[in-house]
Amino acid sequence: MIQAQARKRHPLVLVVDDDPEILEAICDILDAEGYRVAQARNGLEALDRVRAERPEVILLDLMMPVMDGQAFARALRARGNGAIPIVVISADGNAHRATALGARGFLSKPFDIDSLLFQVATAAAHP
Amino acid sequence: MVDNTAEGLEPSRRDGEPAGPEAPRHREGRASHLAFVAHEVRNPLSTALWSAELLARMPAAERGGPRGEKLAGMCLRALSRLRLLVEDHFLLERLDIGGITVREEAVPLPELLEAAAAHLPAGAVLRQELEPGLLLQADRVLAERLLEAVLASAAREGGEVRVAARRQRGGIELRVRGATPEADRLADPVRGSASESRGRALSLPTARRVAAVLGGVLAAEPAEYRVLLPAHDGPASEGT
Repeated sequence: MIQAQARKRHPLVLVVDDDPEILEAICDILDAEGYRVAQARNGLEALDRVRAERPEVILLDLMMPVMDGQAFARALRARGNGAIPIVVISADGNAHRATALGARGFLSKPFDIDSLLFQVATAAAHP
Repeated sequence: MVDNTAEGLEPSRRDGEPAGPEAPRHREGRASHLAFVAHEVRNPLSTALWSAELLARMPAAERGGPRGEKLAGMCLRALSRLRLLVEDHFLLERLDIGGITVREEAVPLPELLEAAAAHLPAGAVLRQELEPGLLLQADRVLAERLLEAVLASAAREGGEVRVAARRQRGGIELRVRGATPEADRLADPVRGSASESRGRALSLPTARRVAAVLGGVLAAEPAEYRVLLPAHDGPASEGT
């Protein structure tokens, strides 16, 4: 139900990950489900995308070069965009870091596709 | 009285792990390294699982179409990346605990380079300037693995890779020039080290360890890799 509502509105999801294959795969999954997607390879690029495209949900990796996930979340709040829900997608399996940066959800790689879609839909439905 | 509570148990020691005051620091370093390896494995594992899952969900008639082809390619790339990581990880572990038999023999350098170059990415070209008759005293499999890792790093941006080799102080010195050497990737990666999207995060540390096991050295200089390996003092090397 939540997923159906979210798809109907075509929310824009910003996917932030330094791994190009992960970016491609997640964008492919979301696109096939009817979401609009934007992508960034690090926190700094992501800040530009937020300014330019105003995403409704951010899927955020933590360990990235240039600007990591924690620094991005701090900068996002400092710029007054702290209300955009963040779902952390991490390969280090540490949910505490996601909690510490105030993320709405946490997915530990490798997570399954339905969990991803549920978290994104929930975050998009309850900004 | 036997203390069998969890607090009273010593963490189990691995082969090759130092005893005494060095042990905790060693164990901490190992844990940090393994955390990095787990991180590196999880990304391609995710991509492989997702693409396979999406393929399985597709109607059979569509699997041969463009999206099916794209997903199959994604799955294959992710699994190839995993294979590199897993192979390097296990070799590194075996080298660390002394669990590998080194079979030294006379190995012609051109043969090794030819075998290692077979794994170069499309678009990369190998140029060789070798003194004639260069014979290494090495384990063929390990030496090939070492050279393959160095060539892959030098060729990671495509283009030309130059290998020059000559006798030097009882050994054979190779200088490999291509993309800027990844000096930061020669050290054992730990939690927080930079990720590597081709599955080669462990290739250079493994190659460095292989060089040491063979009695040589792998180093990154500002513009090239330098590999020094023992020469075989057989008749084929005479006069070089």
